[in-house]
Amino acid sequence: MKRSLAAAAAAHAARVAVAALAAIAVAPAYAQTSSKARIEAFAKLPDWSGLWEPNVFVGEGIGQSLSASGAQAGLAILGAKVPFNAEWQAKFDAAKQAADAAAAADPNHPPAPAHNNCGSPPFIMNMMSPAIYQWRITPEETTIVDTINGIRHIYTDGRPHPPKDELWPTRAGDSIGRWEGDTLVVDTVAIKPDILLSGFTLVRMSDQLHFVERMRLVSKDELQDEFTLNDPAALTAPFKVTFSFKRVTDTNRMIDETECDSTTDRNPIVNGRFTFETK
Amino acid sequence: MFDAAKSVTLAGTVKEFQWMSPHCWIQLLVADPAKPDAPPVEWGIEMDNPLGLSRHGWKPGSLRPGDKIVVVARPLRDGNPGGQVVSVTTADGKPIGNTAEVAK
Repeated sequence: MKRSLAAAAAAHAARVAVAALAAIAVAPAYAQTSSKARIEAFAKLPDWSGLWEPNVFVGEGIGQSLSASGAQAGLAILGAKVPFNAEWQAKFDAAKQAADAAAAADPNHPPAPAHNNCGSPPFIMNMMSPAIYQWRITPEETTIVDTINGIRHIYTDGRPHPPKDELWPTRAGDSIGRWEGDTLVVDTVAIKPDILLSGFTLVRMSDQLHFVERMRLVSKDELQDEFTLNDPAALTAPFKVTFSFKRVTDTNRMIDETECDSTTDRNPIVNGRFTFETK
Repeated sequence: MFDAAKSVTLAGTVKEFQWMSPHCWIQLLVADPAKPDAPPVEWGIEMDNPLGLSRHGWKPGSLRPGDKIVVVARPLRDGNPGGQVVSVTTADGKPIGNTAEVAK
């Protein structure tokens, strides 16, 4: 008995020693293995490199005029009928009536969007703005960066959303994703409710607002993002809308478009002063 | 705000070119040929943002005070001297940037 206890103690001591050695050895060995595994994980991911802009804004003129195809694409999105329930439809109708009346009363000063022009607009408008977008795909996360101060972190490391008591509404919400082949399926919750889509400027959605997106390349130069919006408190059925992004070919730069003073939205470079030109 | 059905052609002198977010502006002094003694009228011409303009070949120094240019714009509905740019050329008709036309 004593012998076996001694043997067990020895075995335990040996295990502790092995564990300690492993702990010492872990750092360099882990880095080596992880790097190789990570490179392999990268190799399995699709290539969405390059710059992208919503098809609505392809061919935009120097005065922000839309091309014919862009205007058509915009109308298709903005004109989509949202299946509000009776309670939310009434809210929407009242808000629309008020907005139409305000616009009719003063056509020179139509009501401005509610969000701060210096920041990225809230989700989902942040995905359909006159801006350039980049998808940075890594095994752990896809990050969508745009030129209007927007950034979306989509975690693809298998984590769930945080528990409800650790979530609060933000512009981009909380996004987790998974790859289904070459399609990135993104689940977003905790979104600020003042979203802008199909008249959403007019009504706030409920705190049950939830988006599922399916992002994929449909051709070398077109990336599609199919949104399914659900809000059981406000809608009678999920609402689907597809955004299309076209590859940008006339610039290779991401330039911040929202650099502006927080009170005036203005930070002018007047007559070319403060530029780096060598003249 | 702007009347998309109308356009005005303004031959004038650049007072100021503001390269800024969210939108760039040209402050343009336009004399009325019918009133040679009257001071020129200052027009505010709204453009796209700097990134959008740079994609059309514009630069922060594309216009300088004193430059003579011709601007086609959609005028303000309320009749004030302001508009949304459609195209900009030099006085002798050369486009500024790589396109001066409204997009296809």
